[in-house]
Amino acid sequence: MSRLADIRGAGLGLKRELVPRIQAAWGSPLIASIDFLEIAPENWIGAGGKSASQLAWCAERCPLVCHGLSLSLGGPHPLDEVFLQRVRHFLDTHRIPLYTEHLSYCSDGGYLYDLLPIPFTAEAVHYVAERIRRTQDILGRRIAVENASFYVAAPIAEMDELTFLRAVLAEADCDLHLDINNIYVNSVNFGYDPHAFLRGIPAERIVYGHVAGHDRQADDLIIDTHAQDVIDPVWDMLRQAYTDFGIFPTLLERDSNIPPLDLLMAEVDRIAALQQACSANTKAQAVTEDMQL
Amino acid sequence: MSQAGKLPLFQQYQLQFSAHIRNPDAVARPQRVSAERMRVYRDLVFDNLDATLGACFPVCKQVLGKRRWRQLIRSFLVHHRAASPLFRQIPEEFLGFLQTLPEIAGSPELPPFFNSLAHYEWVELAVSAAEAPNIPADVDSAGDLLQGYPVLAGALMLLRYAYPVQRISPRFQPQAPLQTPVDLLVFRDAADQVRFVELNAVTARLVALLQTQTLTGLQALEHIAGELAHPQPQIMIDFGSRVLADLRAQGAIIGVRRMAV
Repeated sequence: MSRLADIRGAGLGLKRELVPRIQAAWGSPLIASIDFLEIAPENWIGAGGKSASQLAWCAERCPLVCHGLSLSLGGPHPLDEVFLQRVRHFLDTHRIPLYTEHLSYCSDGGYLYDLLPIPFTAEAVHYVAERIRRTQDILGRRIAVENASFYVAAPIAEMDELTFLRAVLAEADCDLHLDINNIYVNSVNFGYDPHAFLRGIPAERIVYGHVAGHDRQADDLIIDTHAQDVIDPVWDMLRQAYTDFGIFPTLLERDSNIPPLDLLMAEVDRIAALQQACSANTKAQAVTEDMQL
Repeated sequence: MSQAGKLPLFQQYQLQFSAHIRNPDAVARPQRVSAERMRVYRDLVFDNLDATLGACFPVCKQVLGKRRWRQLIRSFLVHHRAASPLFRQIPEEFLGFLQTLPEIAGSPELPPFFNSLAHYEWVELAVSAAEAPNIPADVDSAGDLLQGYPVLAGALMLLRYAYPVQRISPRFQPQAPLQTPVDLLVFRDAADQVRFVELNAVTARLVALLQTQTLTGLQALEHIAGELAHPQPQIMIDFGSRVLADLRAQGAIIGVRRMAV
């Protein structure tokens, strides 16, 4: 049986086109820093043929995380409970210990296959928290929700993003999937201090993290494409998060414009190196504190 | 709006937000929202569908041309409510939408072969990803195809099209259906490759009979000889046994059972 504790270290988002490259490099030092892989269940549930054998190959060798796209936690229509049952079966079949979803919506009675923002209102907090609880009931496990990137601020908002995020997590009593890049993206798109936002994150709920690259469209607009390398300010924030909150399993997302595997792995290696450096610092600090006692 | 009026304010906002993304010409964006930022979402949703559907339906896209293709994607967003959360099934949602297109006023004019062509382009995706059971233990891959019950590949479709879909291109756009429809067998072989085989009418009938899993190879061929009132059934059986062997060599038949299912 797989456990949440099996997800640790550094990971890579598994796009279908990456599978042959990872299979070819399996066991080599090139990909030694991959501790786990992440998949979107919406791309793999119910797929036979080559997809099924690729998934089985990966699941046999590596812990998997599911990062969902279609649950529409903040959507105005009822949760798709038939789909949630399929997710549960999928998690059980492949012994996947962690399922995360976005704090957003993607359906208005029909799926739009993209992530749309939830207005930050008190009613929305209660509504979304209740749906997260229901999801956890159906799946029979805790889930983590991710702070999403977005581009439009709702004029009807009654609170800021951090207040909303904290309220939802507390009321739903769920875990946090902390996306460092999304904090940076939103900080540029809405003009706030990303480090202050990060300091306000409830550390005790973090179970998982993401870093990714994005496309800068204008001084005040970033599109969260996952199509570029991770930029230095995001690496700095990851370091800050590890220093302030302790280390959490962290994954590199790359969805398009995918470079050769060695370049991709350089970024996964960098996650692993940051984790090692911060873990060494934490230990040194603990020793110092012991001596002071 | 009577329903929407009872919804919490944030949901009214969300519904208008997505309605505007679907149909920006007819639905205003929510009040006091930046037009420039709203455009980001309109483009993201539209371009994502365009890319996904364009990848599955490249010939459909080519024969329509960019302008009409984009009209069709817009119409899909406006008129269709996709029920599947699975991204792989977006093309299937599109096929469902095409079925409803004649009822939609002002929809783009499409060539007569368009729905057949779209279905044909979708089949490759459908067969490549179809869930198929492992080869059952009681299937003998080398068994006698006439005396046993031939078993077809788990991921397989027998299709009949009114247009020569496999030859359609921007330069070849038939305006009338064929006098004799085209029969295609599409299946996934042991190496998970999708294969397309054009069948004559007798072979198509043979495969259809084998799909019932109630007839031996010989019984199926005798049945066809009877249907055709063939004067020399043995000729049909000799021909058919070569066809069966050929289908097995290609991977469409994976073996035989001794007993019917």
